[in-house]
Amino acid sequence: MDARKKIDRRDLLKILAGTAALAPLAGCKANILGSPVGINRLRPPGAVDEEDFTGRCIRCGRCIEVCPYRSIVPLDATDGVNAGTPLILAEKMPCYLCMECVVVCPTGALQKIELEDTRMGMAIINNETCLAQTDDTLCRTCYSVCPLRDIAIHLKEFKPQVDTSACTGCGVCVHACPIEDSNGVKPILIDPDFVPQGESS
Amino acid sequence: MVMTRRDFIKKTAALSAASFVGLNLPFAKHVDQAGATDADKWVRGSCRLCGLGCRVELGLKGGKPVAIRGVAKSRTNFGYLCMKGMLFYKVMEHPDRLKMPLYRESKKDAFREISWDEALDIAAKKFADAKKEFGGDSTAYYGSGQALTEETYLFQKVMRGGLQTNNVEGNPRLCMASAVGGYLTSFGADEPIGGYSNIEKSSCIFIIGSNMAEAHPVFFRRVMRRKMDNKDTVKVINADPRVSPTSRIADMHMQFRPGTDLAMLNAMAYVIIEEKLFDKKFISDYAVFKSGKNTVDMDTYFAELGDYTPEKAAVICGGNITGDMIRKAARWFAKSNGTVSCWCMGINQRKRGVWANNLINNLHILTGQLCKPGADSFSLTGQPNACGGVREGGGLCHILPGHRLVKKEKLRNQVESAWGIPAGRIPPKPGYHTMAMFKAVNEGKIKAIWINCTSPAQSLPNVDLYRKGMAREDVFMVCTDIFPTLTTELANLILPTAFHFEKTGVYGCTERRSQITPKCCDAPGEAHAEVWIVREWAKRLARELNDPVIEQCVAPFDGLEEGYDLPKAIWDEYTQKLTKGRDSDLTGATYGVLEQMHDGVQWPAATEEYALTGGTVIKFAREYDPMAESHAKDDKPFQFYGPAHPDKKLWIWSRPYKGADEEPDAEYPFYLSTGRIIDHWHTTSMTGRIPELLRANPYSFVEVNPRDAERMGIKPGDMVELESRRGRVEMPAKVVEGPIEGMVFAYWHDMHEDRMINKVVKDAFDPGSKEPEFKICAVKVRRLSGPKRLTPYVV
Repeated sequence: MDARKKIDRRDLLKILAGTAALAPLAGCKANILGSPVGINRLRPPGAVDEEDFTGRCIRCGRCIEVCPYRSIVPLDATDGVNAGTPLILAEKMPCYLCMECVVVCPTGALQKIELEDTRMGMAIINNETCLAQTDDTLCRTCYSVCPLRDIAIHLKEFKPQVDTSACTGCGVCVHACPIEDSNGVKPILIDPDFVPQGESS
Repeated sequence: MVMTRRDFIKKTAALSAASFVGLNLPFAKHVDQAGATDADKWVRGSCRLCGLGCRVELGLKGGKPVAIRGVAKSRTNFGYLCMKGMLFYKVMEHPDRLKMPLYRESKKDAFREISWDEALDIAAKKFADAKKEFGGDSTAYYGSGQALTEETYLFQKVMRGGLQTNNVEGNPRLCMASAVGGYLTSFGADEPIGGYSNIEKSSCIFIIGSNMAEAHPVFFRRVMRRKMDNKDTVKVINADPRVSPTSRIADMHMQFRPGTDLAMLNAMAYVIIEEKLFDKKFISDYAVFKSGKNTVDMDTYFAELGDYTPEKAAVICGGNITGDMIRKAARWFAKSNGTVSCWCMGINQRKRGVWANNLINNLHILTGQLCKPGADSFSLTGQPNACGGVREGGGLCHILPGHRLVKKEKLRNQVESAWGIPAGRIPPKPGYHTMAMFKAVNEGKIKAIWINCTSPAQSLPNVDLYRKGMAREDVFMVCTDIFPTLTTELANLILPTAFHFEKTGVYGCTERRSQITPKCCDAPGEAHAEVWIVREWAKRLARELNDPVIEQCVAPFDGLEEGYDLPKAIWDEYTQKLTKGRDSDLTGATYGVLEQMHDGVQWPAATEEYALTGGTVIKFAREYDPMAESHAKDDKPFQFYGPAHPDKKLWIWSRPYKGADEEPDAEYPFYLSTGRIIDHWHTTSMTGRIPELLRANPYSFVEVNPRDAERMGIKPGDMVELESRRGRVEMPAKVVEGPIEGMVFAYWHDMHEDRMINKVVKDAFDPGSKEPEFKICAVKVRRLSGPKRLTPYVV
């Protein structure tokens, strides 16, 4: 059973790595119909499913305008059909969950939602490169900045752990994480397409 | 049915993130953080930041700092570091580093670069002029618990022996003067009896007024480890008006109204006596009871505690405190095999800080939870060399090196003779303490002030009031620092100094441990070590004032190379001539010994041979402390030989509950308290310049209790105004189950004018220790607007 699960998970990851995930990181755009959503590239809170989002969003820019942190940016013409739609670049400026944008969206592309119910993605910690997990340092930055501290991220044996049932995917942890390699990759990231193991069939 | 992505995510509730352990998600394979693999040389020293004294190795590549790692064999940190400690090397090569002396005649002018010759001449002339016209007491030195011991020592030597003033102060007055007062009045000797290693032997840990999870993370790791490895046998109590990350490991969180801990601690003592939980033999052998100026008996002491039965105290304390809770805490404390109390600024930065310290020490004396492994009354400190340099090295207005009081003529004469200067040269009157010093600056009584390695223009309470004085045209201000700060902006002369690892010297950490950090790279530009600056300045001062005694203060150090020989000669003079035979005896802790040690030496350590064992783990216990043996006056196992108690006893103090200096009222209805966050340190002149740390916490925010927030309509991220009788700030709100209802809590690491919380806090101070009450004042809280994007600010 374990073996089967592993295969499922690996398959998924391959798909993930091969398509959307690496595109924004590498700086090259997907094809004009492709989704801009990927690792640390998030739709604002309450966004409907990505397949429907491009159709529902009328590019009015209200969410972008109302965002007090300027976390939400409009996509430009190079993003094809998604030009003008809102995106959050988590490592640049994450979502602080003020929930202003969900109120102003006129089309319901962003649905009214409570802070705790927001699911923009899932924070995932790389246990090989997070210096807290490898015991190299007593870092707790992601834990201390998490808007749902002790709920979405808690400490287990001094080490930050994500509770997948509570993480909103806001990206505040990614933004704050003090560790990054020379390519700017951090040991914590937000995966908007996170699919748990054994649920993919 | 097609399952959407969101459905999938919702269904993950049962899945723990731990199941992703080891999975190679789309991450880079290897993170080359800190360039650790690149270093070609590692040099051992101490961490530059908090008071724990973690041992680190600085990694160098081609002579440039590229990484920091912990020293696994060090008894302070066992190789562990926090993120701040791991990244502080990044300030060394920072483009903001000061590289040339900067000067302006008037504070209205712009600074211009000048040569060292010119700079030292100006500094000497200004101080000499002030002394000639207004006397030595019109000059002052305000130093730092971050300066090396050699630096503090040499500065105070020139001020006292040369300029003949005891106006020698430092920022430790703002952070641990109350602990000094507490130790001296309770135990007769400053500094803790034990050290960190007691944690591993303790079975009750009483944490009060300390958020060690954030302020001392490496020490917290030991506490947490102890608790987690002994879940059923070790009890942790956290007493704090605010539920903090430290509370997470506590078996019991005692949340009381700010300032009422004096009543709570008295009530614990009440329970200990009422339920006969005290150690009768320990008390009769080693302790006396004091009430005011009188020595009293236990019955009188107990009668005076009558106002603090647990039930009465619970009413005073408010919060979640009940009589039963106080009883339970007292029982855990008294009955455990070993109890360690840990406290920090929550106890010290108070109008009644010394009393609060006494009341904690009382519990340890009453129960005999002292002088044995696993038991100690342990004050944590915030700066790396507040203990070593300032408390031991004579960096406060009333003390001389080696724990000597200024007001005692015999002790002054010892110092004068060690320095080879005429008897009577050091004035008998203690100088201005910090708050009085800056008041004197405001009043124009101080004409020339030297500020070294600290930023009072940000760190003083009620700071706007004192910035006015520092901005006066008739106050000549010199700053020695590595970076521009809010204080250098008010200076006439800025002298660039070498940073840690760019000069050699000793730091003495919280647990009486002295550790050396050697020079291994060069300071940028023309920055110099402070010891060189003081020596060269003093020589010019001697010429200006035509005073050979000033020359004599630095004559033993003339011509020595500043990177190593000069600090070594200063350390030798201080330890060999001025600590010998004192309770802080460092005679054995020579540079040679310190360089051999992975960690360092805990005093007293009278010989090199003994110092090489690591020194004294537990003071006053004959089993551990050779000085207890040599100073023994009877055959008892503990000998309290400290200098402050002529009877060589421990004193249990009757201290009543007194509230804060400024309690909330109808106009200012909230308590305000301030504190720290894990990613920053103090004024952020260093951590604010490390992008990784700044990004984590780019600006201060205020924690508001959810029930208060609901009442005032404050939502997370809203901009909130805090206003006191002294000043106002505005910062984003964090609505969190942290501060007790009726209290707000703000971080003080922010240089921005709009968010500098020290403009709001009160400058009332403890009448004994003169330490200001940063921790409690009254404010109005008002919602200003919704969330606003803010920009971080570093001078």
